Amino acid sequence: MSTKAQREARLPLDHAPREGTVHLLEIGGHRIGLVRVGDSLHALADRCPHRGAPLCSGRITTPIEVRDGGVGLGERASILRCPWHKWEFEIATGRCVVDPRLRVRKYAVRLEGDEIVVSLDHA
Amino acid sequence: MLIDCDIHVGYETLADLLDYLDGATRELVSSSGTNGLAMPSYPWNHPAGWIRQDVYERGSSVGDFPYLTLDTLRERHLDRYAVSIGVVEPDEAAAFAILPNSQLAARLCSAYNDWLLDRWLEEEPRLRGMIVVPAQWPEAAAREIRRVGTRDEFAGIFLPGAARIPYGNPVYDPLWEAANELALPVAVHTHFESVGIAGPVTAAGMPDYYGEYHALCGSGMYGHFVSILCHGIFERFPSTRVAMVEGGLVPFVGFLWRLDTNWKSCRNEMPWCKRRPSDYVWDHIRFATQPLESPDDPEQLVRAIEFLRPAETLMYASDFPHWDFDEPEQTLRQLPVEWRESVRWRNAQTFFRLPAPALA
Repeated sequence: MSTKAQREARLPLDHAPREGTVHLLEIGGHRIGLVRVGDSLHALADRCPHRGAPLCSGRITTPIEVRDGGVGLGERASILRCPWHKWEFEIATGRCVVDPRLRVRKYAVRLEGDEIVVSLDHA
Repeated sequence: MLIDCDIHVGYETLADLLDYLDGATRELVSSSGTNGLAMPSYPWNHPAGWIRQDVYERGSSVGDFPYLTLDTLRERHLDRYAVSIGVVEPDEAAAFAILPNSQLAARLCSAYNDWLLDRWLEEEPRLRGMIVVPAQWPEAAAREIRRVGTRDEFAGIFLPGAARIPYGNPVYDPLWEAANELALPVAVHTHFESVGIAGPVTAAGMPDYYGEYHALCGSGMYGHFVSILCHGIFERFPSTRVAMVEGGLVPFVGFLWRLDTNWKSCRNEMPWCKRRPSDYVWDHIRFATQPLESPDDPEQLVRAIEFLRPAETLMYASDFPHWDFDEPEQTLRQLPVEWRESVRWRNAQTFFRLPAPALA
């Protein structure tokens, strides 16, 4: 049975990842990527649900969307793109943009004082 | 035991081949264009990158094909998946066969094959090379096959899907004769359709998007497949074997059914095709798995390709390190248990005539 210590990781708030970067953590054997989108922090499993690639080593991108009949940019740095097959995942929800059956596992993130706490609890 | 029939390695820029070229070609390669000879390439770009992102640093390469080191290949692929033998296909060097200047192409092919031997095949015993040849000049291609084809480090001959004329046409007889003489298999691998001297990827006109191109890119291979069968290549060159690499699987079923039907009515215009075309396939042609078609229900794929006799004709291929890489266990899991051992290594060992000790 996991102890509380093995189910959580803490890091100083000023170590929060910059936009477009991933801070990798390991909690109880689980590799987890901490990512910032706007003012929010999200923790995602480092495993692509498509073919098992190390998802968090992929590139964080801004989605290209249809806007008024043309194309435009969606929410800035809100997509994580798998490094192998280039499938895209919405960081805020874990939802796979190209296959609604797939969702990357998300973990709970909270702030306690000057610390970020990531736990193995589901977000 | 695992044999991977499709691993890509390549030079970073043509300048890497300078040491393997004669003086005159070195001068031509160095002084051409703005920064040296530029190779023809696709009019489309993959919108998120050609190569698996974990094998190169973006911005670290001056060429369009980032340089994969032997150490990276070992760490990320050969060791990770316990690949017993990996068959190495070219990246940009596949374009030599669609250069307009066939004499230059011939010299580049020789330099590339020597470079491949020196830098990869002699360094890593798990690798076997495919000989790159100037297909647009079949006599020179035959000379290159005979020059290096007796080396154990080479497992066969590479031909790109892109070509000026389908590969069954008699202009290619010198190439097939050399392949037959050395009993070397030929891999026809999708590459550079619509580029250089090659015809368009389909008669519909040019696709707008890379995603379209990639769904259609097997078209050149289907043309060669049908041409090779109809011209009786396996009657005239009976030691010849051909692998269809990266053209998918399902389309070959439809083409074979249609061709078998046509042959019954049109046999008299191709009398050298003495048997029903599909009959040659079982003895002479093999199919690489990647990119494995992936319907939502994997059973649909199994039913769709059963006609190809997959337990006898399928060979595992990863396409490492390209973006559409297929991981071995995930690929094999999509196939029935009774096919897996053959697909994993047995069919490739027989096809490439790899010595059993090499697999130990």
